[in-house]
Amino acid sequence: MLFMIPKKREIRVRKAILRGVYEDNLRIIGKNPVILAGRAPIFFKKMFLFFSITLLSILVNGNYLNLPLFPEKQTTASLITQRPSSLPAEKPVKPSDYAAFLGGKEMPLSRMFGLEVKTIMIDPGHGGSDSGTTGTMGTKEKDITLDIAKKLRERLRKYGRYNILITREQDTTLPLNQRVELARSSRADIFISIHLNYLPSKPINIIETYYFGPSADDKTLRLAEQENAGSHYGLSDFKEIIGKIGETLKLQESKEFAASIQKNLFLNSKKQNANVYNFGVKRAPFIVLLGVDVPAVLAEVSCLSNREEEIELNTESHRENIARYLEAGILDYLNKGEVSYEAKRSSGRR
Amino acid sequence: MKQKEAQGEGNILFVGIDLGTSRSSISASNNTREWIESYVGWPKDFISLQVVGKPVLFGADALKNRLSLDLCRPLEHGVIKEGIEKSEEAVKEIIKHLIELAKPQPEQKIYAVVGVPADTLKVNKLAIRKAVSEFAHSLMVVSEPFAVAYGMNLLNNSLVIDIGAGTTDLCIMHGTIPSEEDQKTILTAGDYIDEQLYSYLTEKYPNSKFNKNMVRQFKEQYSFVREISEDIRVEIPVDGKPVMHDIKNEVKRACESILPALVETTTEMIARFDPEFQVKIKNNIVLAGGGSLIRGLREYLQNALKEYGPCNVTCVEDPLFSGSNGALKLAQDMPAKYWEPL
Repeated sequence: MLFMIPKKREIRVRKAILRGVYEDNLRIIGKNPVILAGRAPIFFKKMFLFFSITLLSILVNGNYLNLPLFPEKQTTASLITQRPSSLPAEKPVKPSDYAAFLGGKEMPLSRMFGLEVKTIMIDPGHGGSDSGTTGTMGTKEKDITLDIAKKLRERLRKYGRYNILITREQDTTLPLNQRVELARSSRADIFISIHLNYLPSKPINIIETYYFGPSADDKTLRLAEQENAGSHYGLSDFKEIIGKIGETLKLQESKEFAASIQKNLFLNSKKQNANVYNFGVKRAPFIVLLGVDVPAVLAEVSCLSNREEEIELNTESHRENIARYLEAGILDYLNKGEVSYEAKRSSGRR
Repeated sequence: MKQKEAQGEGNILFVGIDLGTSRSSISASNNTREWIESYVGWPKDFISLQVVGKPVLFGADALKNRLSLDLCRPLEHGVIKEGIEKSEEAVKEIIKHLIELAKPQPEQKIYAVVGVPADTLKVNKLAIRKAVSEFAHSLMVVSEPFAVAYGMNLLNNSLVIDIGAGTTDLCIMHGTIPSEEDQKTILTAGDYIDEQLYSYLTEKYPNSKFNKNMVRQFKEQYSFVREISEDIRVEIPVDGKPVMHDIKNEVKRACESILPALVETTTEMIARFDPEFQVKIKNNIVLAGGGSLIRGLREYLQNALKEYGPCNVTCVEDPLFSGSNGALKLAQDMPAKYWEPL
């Protein structure tokens, strides 16, 4: 309190702070503070205009909050139905490959050799100065992923069979190469990275899971670029790492792992919320997946650009649910081999 | 502002609530100040219901009867945790109980400002709002160190270090509402000291019987860093017989275990700030929360920061209520039009 500047100034500061608190709280409950900019007469007119437009759009387009405006709904729907046919565009995977991998008579590598998966490494995406994406209410990807990761860790710990590691415990900045290094040095057996999607142009909620591989899809490449930023890897490193692609076994396993995660995530999320779309298992050159020598996947568990989903993500129970689905996905992968699962899958998907 | 208060006083009760991991307190505009330990307990079965005679117990009451209760400390590690419904329920019960303690008149409207640990705020904003909204007509949620700073009028160029049970929250104030970069949370705080002390004591006295609760009481009574002249001796049963134990070194080691992270984070936060104002901030460091009661901590911090230039560290006068008082002040200063839409 060495601080006795003229009172006026202090009052002004105080006012600004009070206003900040107020706006912050408005954001929490999901109202837009910009609308409430004061100045009564114009304000009311604006309000009126806003509501009448909102009303209009509801009348015309049906559900406003979901924003599936009719024409767009159709495009997204067709987009999804097209998906399987667009997949072969990623040349190397032929439908027959898919069938083989979906039919899955092969057991996971771990089972085949009677090896055990002991160490599971969970990687909550982003953190520290890198917030990831941010929702309209101010929810940050890094906070949500960290929370889900911690919940997942608690769940897996209960089995007592696995050693569960987490790349970051707190809200700290952790470059991708350090995450990879952590996974290597701790001799993790499988690796799962948790992220949230953000689709600025489409108000839909999607779930997708990635494993490492070259991708022909423009959007995926852009996403990879985004997630790879700040990896602290140089180009030469990248080349060297790319040389390792030959490890097809790891690829195969990662694919299997990704499929298991995706299946559990999507089918269960669908039960909670019918408006979620399955974007399936995809390949993309995420560095974090490439650098890790063991089966590794990156799951985009939800979509922060979707308003409803953001509200949901702010509830404890929803995050717990996502952790539960991931847990189921991991266990499914580790304990696979039962035919019943496979039968269900080949008929049930898409 | 005076006017507004005068006309509002009659039918509006302003309350400031400090929702802490270990203790929660409430300050109300009718001059009530109350606190409870953040424990909630429900009787395990109908026999224990008979014994304790209440459907739900709080704080010290709950701790005393903990053997016949399902005990819940909902904000462990500063986050609403574990069996979700249960902890949400527990948070609700705590809020309800606190507001009852403030004794509002039946027709009074309740306007509440709730201070919560900064980390809780990030992902549990909605959960906390939900828990409180049933009992208040309008409410705002703010981060704990910010409430403390506001209450002490430290709006500009100051650093508040709130050492709680679950987390230590640091918050730099520079004349605006603190953004995320201005706040930092470290996980070494009171509970961490308890854990350390517990393990040191088990190591030194393997035959003595004590529990986490006893250890916490030792800490609250004797905590210190650096040197003190007196001896610290406590009674702990060995094979049922009470025996005096010397725990001075263990208390010191446990309390000092939080220091490295604390000093490192403090310097880091100051260093990140605009260099022109760094000196001002260093002269305006405030320790709050239960941790500020650790003897010698203020001096230690002041000393540790000395190599970065002169600095001045003070402790809040009343750590138990500094958060809720600040929240109350915030509530009273808040213009009426801001309350309505919330």
